[in-house]
Amino acid sequence: MEFAYTLQQEALRREVRQFIKENVTPEVAEEMDMHAGAERPRGQGPKAAALYKKIHERGWLGITYPKAYGGQGGDRITQYIVEEEFTRVGVNISLGGSGAPAIMAAGTEEQKQYYIPRLIKREISFCLGFTEPHAGADLANLRCSAVRDGDHYMINGQKMYTTAAHASTHIYLMARTNRDAPKHEGISIFLIPMDTPGITVRPLWTIQNNPTAPVSTTYGAARTNETFFDDVRVHKSCLLGEENKGWRVGSMGLNLDRVGASRYLISVRRDEDIVNWVKNNAMDGFTPGKDPAIRDKIAELWIEAQVCRLMTMRSMSIVERGGKFTYEGSAEKVWAPEHGVRITEAITQMLGPYASLLRTSPHAIEDGVFGHNVMGSFQSGINHGSVQVMRDQVARRGLGLPSSRKSGKVEAR
Amino acid sequence: MAKCPVCQQPVDEAAAKAQTGMTPGGAKEVDPKAGTRQFHDGTWYYFDSLDCRNRFTRNPEGYLKQAAP
Repeated sequence: MEFAYTLQQEALRREVRQFIKENVTPEVAEEMDMHAGAERPRGQGPKAAALYKKIHERGWLGITYPKAYGGQGGDRITQYIVEEEFTRVGVNISLGGSGAPAIMAAGTEEQKQYYIPRLIKREISFCLGFTEPHAGADLANLRCSAVRDGDHYMINGQKMYTTAAHASTHIYLMARTNRDAPKHEGISIFLIPMDTPGITVRPLWTIQNNPTAPVSTTYGAARTNETFFDDVRVHKSCLLGEENKGWRVGSMGLNLDRVGASRYLISVRRDEDIVNWVKNNAMDGFTPGKDPAIRDKIAELWIEAQVCRLMTMRSMSIVERGGKFTYEGSAEKVWAPEHGVRITEAITQMLGPYASLLRTSPHAIEDGVFGHNVMGSFQSGINHGSVQVMRDQVARRGLGLPSSRKSGKVEAR
Repeated sequence: MAKCPVCQQPVDEAAAKAQTGMTPGGAKEVDPKAGTRQFHDGTWYYFDSLDCRNRFTRNPEGYLKQAAP
């Protein structure tokens, strides 16, 4: 077994790095950055649009999607290499979290033809309407209802933490279509344009908003949202997959969303940051890189990062060969964010009080990015499936342990 | 004018739902300072703050009993 990239893959990596050097200028990076401004849609400014157009022309968007739907028909290792390089500089080229994997797996031909090419070209974007005030970690307890009315559904209810609802063109909504069924059944997924009458977005500001986190902060967004649905009428063609089978569609989509480099790289970027900082800096005559305790901790974190990388590659390998993919994405979703928290904690220990200074402090290191990451890192263990729920999935699907799930009906909306 | 079932402060339902802007995707935006709401057991309840809404979510029946005339 050759445990290395091929010469062609290494050449591709160099080509991507050269492209980034020439095109991802500090001005472009600032506009692209997820924390550059809560009110400005992520990656939708004019510089970002021009950059994505160039990336698309190089054939680096939607690499693993079929050519018939605007993709490149390529393999996942190619996708991984390109994604790894772009993620490292804060440019998201992944379709993870976009709804695209679920649309490919469960969508009608018409839905695939419409949504996938537009998602690849970044002409449209989805936010995820899953969590509710009563349904967070226990998502199946959701109460947002969709009642069939002829060829339409009438949707009423609310969603919490719909990150990017203020910047998206569509919402990927999970709603209850049968209140008499056990709670994991009777759920359906809808693909809905955000300009449908009756949808209201209310901002929720996070700890990263004041002061706004600097460019290259990895964890946590400045803004998320509550989203309300008041008699939102949608056509039945908005349904993704079969009615009342949405739990399976949603779970599969979330699991597939977790395949790829960006999930683990958000933490690895922090590993690289602190290694570079320790190599190149001294504080008050103290050279951190010469301290045995710091060297020991950095080596430990690097080993953890390699575990993240290998888990990611294993997931891609399973999906690439069409194997059964059940708990592997969940295992990654535990390891990567918890590794991220351990990095921020280690950085705090290494840099002492300096690590806690935010960008508004005149003494902040690296524009306060380490302090902002300390605040934001905990979010990554909660959003997109909490680590506790992920552990439960590993226990049930990976290890075959019995379910502790109560499958009762949801009593009230 | 509604009354927050948690702290009993008045909440203007119309203001809580009034459009103050529009997202680039075309959704209505509201002022977060005007309160929030929650659909519970067939009725929308209005809250003066997210904190009150969170308290209500944990114990809706307790607060509704307390708020009953």
